[in-house]
Amino acid sequence: MAVYMLWRLLSTIAVIAMVGVFIFLLLRLSPGDPAAIIAGDTATPQMISGIREQLGLNNSLPVQFLHWALGILGGDLGVSIFTRRPVLQLISQRLEPTICLSILTMIFSVLTGVAFGMLAAWRVGGLVDRALAAFAALGFSVPVFVVGYFLVYWFAISARWLPVQGYQPIDHGLGPWFMHLILPTLTLSFPYIAYIGRITRASMLEVLSEDYMRTAAAKGASPYSMLFHHALKNAGVPILTVIGISFAYLVSGVVITETVFNISGVGRLVVDAISNRDYPIIQGVLILASGLYALINLAVDLAYTLIDPRIRY
Amino acid sequence: MTISRRDLMKTGLAAGTAISMPSVMRAQAASTASRMVRMVMSGSGDLRVFDPIFTTATITANHGLAIYDTLFALDSKLRPQPQMVEKWSVSDDKKAYTFELRNGLGWHDGTPVTAADCVASIRRWGQVSPGGKLIMARAKDISKKDDKTFTLELKEPLGLLIDILASLSYPLPFVMREKDASRPPTEQVTANIGSGPFKFNEALAKPGASITYDRNEKYVPRSEPPDGFAGGKNVNIDRVIWENIANQQTAFAALRAGEVDFVESLPADLYSAVESDPNLALQVVYKMGWVNFLRMNCLQKPFDNVKARQAMLHLIDQEAFLRIASPDPKYGNTVTSMFGDDTLYSNGENTGWYKKGGDPEKAKQLFKEGGYSGEKLVILQPTNLPAYSNASQFLAGALRKIGINAELAPSDWGDIVTRRTNKGPVEDGGWSIFLTGVPNVALGDPIGAPWLTANGDKGFFGWPKNDEYEALRAKWADVETLAERQALARKMQRVWWDFVGTVLLGKVDSPSARRKALTGLIEMPSLLAMWNMQKV
Repeated sequence: MAVYMLWRLLSTIAVIAMVGVFIFLLLRLSPGDPAAIIAGDTATPQMISGIREQLGLNNSLPVQFLHWALGILGGDLGVSIFTRRPVLQLISQRLEPTICLSILTMIFSVLTGVAFGMLAAWRVGGLVDRALAAFAALGFSVPVFVVGYFLVYWFAISARWLPVQGYQPIDHGLGPWFMHLILPTLTLSFPYIAYIGRITRASMLEVLSEDYMRTAAAKGASPYSMLFHHALKNAGVPILTVIGISFAYLVSGVVITETVFNISGVGRLVVDAISNRDYPIIQGVLILASGLYALINLAVDLAYTLIDPRIRY
Repeated sequence: MTISRRDLMKTGLAAGTAISMPSVMRAQAASTASRMVRMVMSGSGDLRVFDPIFTTATITANHGLAIYDTLFALDSKLRPQPQMVEKWSVSDDKKAYTFELRNGLGWHDGTPVTAADCVASIRRWGQVSPGGKLIMARAKDISKKDDKTFTLELKEPLGLLIDILASLSYPLPFVMREKDASRPPTEQVTANIGSGPFKFNEALAKPGASITYDRNEKYVPRSEPPDGFAGGKNVNIDRVIWENIANQQTAFAALRAGEVDFVESLPADLYSAVESDPNLALQVVYKMGWVNFLRMNCLQKPFDNVKARQAMLHLIDQEAFLRIASPDPKYGNTVTSMFGDDTLYSNGENTGWYKKGGDPEKAKQLFKEGGYSGEKLVILQPTNLPAYSNASQFLAGALRKIGINAELAPSDWGDIVTRRTNKGPVEDGGWSIFLTGVPNVALGDPIGAPWLTANGDKGFFGWPKNDEYEALRAKWADVETLAERQALARKMQRVWWDFVGTVLLGKVDSPSARRKALTGLIEMPSLLAMWNMQKV
């Protein structure tokens, strides 16, 4: 196990290094000049060229890459071209809302999705099963931002129960924090509940038709014991895989949800940085995201051993 | 399972508390809300660059207006008035100016504003601003006389000097601390220490998310009543927060719910929704509006030929472009003067090309006379700016209708500001046309506005060249009276519409949306003053 983990960690570092080179080249070779954007719409070419020189954007690509890579090795993600603030500081300012939204979304999606999927599989063709099928169709087909607008209209504008937008940090009080995250969490959870619910249902259906389930029923096992002790545990590996993938895919959904609900998270930070060509921020966020992605995969792989004792590394 | 009375009461209390939570939160927030204004600067964009000399971005100029002060400022009639200056004088030969600062000026770090700060600030601004460059070219010496007085000696008189110091052309001549202003203008000042009526709250600054300004309690306003950007800058609130809400639907929903007080710009299709809400109002805060125009690459075919540029002048149907930019006719009108609509220098000289609905046949004929032979014409289409993006598509359609091989090059504005620097042919990544817009008032300033130059490849993107026009423009700074400048403006315009430096697409007066509780907004061109406003 220790050797496996060491190997996976080393491969994660290699992945991050490759991502770094790829992102650096991609950004430098794609059109757009941060100096021209900084200088403003009515800047003269002389102003733009002065700013380019000052920011070191006229240096050769290898020099720029070396400068950036050496910084990364020293734990320095660089400084934003625009705000002249450390990238790490900008990311850390935005991390809390994104992490909170992602974790709440995953908790809510997993609890609801797995529960729906189990009930649907337990009573195939029943009301819950048909409701899940309809919900899944909606979840896969209705864009997240449309769901967001509807929820805002009903719960924030009409009923005035919840705030329209924004985020309150946890240290401003648990109540305001939670109230600001209810609608974004419901919105972002919508497709994931559908996805996890459908996968759970399919996995459970397969397991429920196994011989050992029939044996358990013949032995008089309670429905609770059959579902949770026998079926869910054996159906767990594909469900866990889907949850891991969903967590990684959450990043793209977070960007849209953060925009609709005006949550200043990492998603919006990187989208704004892309439109401004703020290279250090884009590079910094993507490096951290690739590391996180690799670590989630590793955590999912290790979690397999907990639910399936046959899996050993 | 049985439910006891006690359980029922507990459940009822918990449910009641949960349901009342939003109201409790709103009530708690309301006690501080009247001293705080939340604004969405959706039109100016997100504040990312903090140095108003380093960039020409409007949002940074607005930031500058909040935390810095200027020596002179324009009043509501656009006349320059002293702001940081208490009194000033000029010698009989009009070559030596003396400025004395008023009492009570202090930096946010507690140190007093000195004449040395002003001298350093003028020198830095003078390296980048077109008006400032003119002052520096004429200046023999700028030096401090004592802590409150400085002098500006000129090699030859410059009648426009005070107007330039009060001008609204970006970058504005904000006064910074000497140690900040001593940096080169290509190096950004990030200290955000000014002497203006608002202080930048560094601890709460989240670039890209929100920017917070606090009232500068030590600011001493002028004794005169507020008048445009001149007069007393009286601050009636404790805090202003700029919320960066990227999505306009969300911004509007937040305005309706009372979570923000002001939205700088909304899509025109939401105007009726604002008007139907009893708590909201539309207000044209940016007086005099915004003029949209197109620039042509005069260095490459087909627009290296003046006939092709004249063809564009005849092709454009301004009313149609206005319907794209501002569907409500109440908020837009056509404009035919190169000096904008209703500025001091607007005039009707040589505007015979204007015809309601445009004149496509004439345009077609002029393209033909210009030797157009089917070469590709590339229009840069900013897909992230809906009004310009739609107008670009409409323009491409109008050109194709008269047989021009027009092609759209869609990309975001960040790409366009880079690509427009390319002077080469379209085959080498160049361009033929891009659309942009500027405050109407800026068109009345041929010294400060780079798009009113015709000095070829040294000038603004598009690089039109006309020596006769430039010779006339060079006289602008030396003309003494308003009547003489207006006469000069007519001569300049006569030449301008012959060689066609830009093609106008109309003027738009985009209203801002505010909650009715927010009052006292100062209506001025280009920039938003945050003093004088209050919440009732």
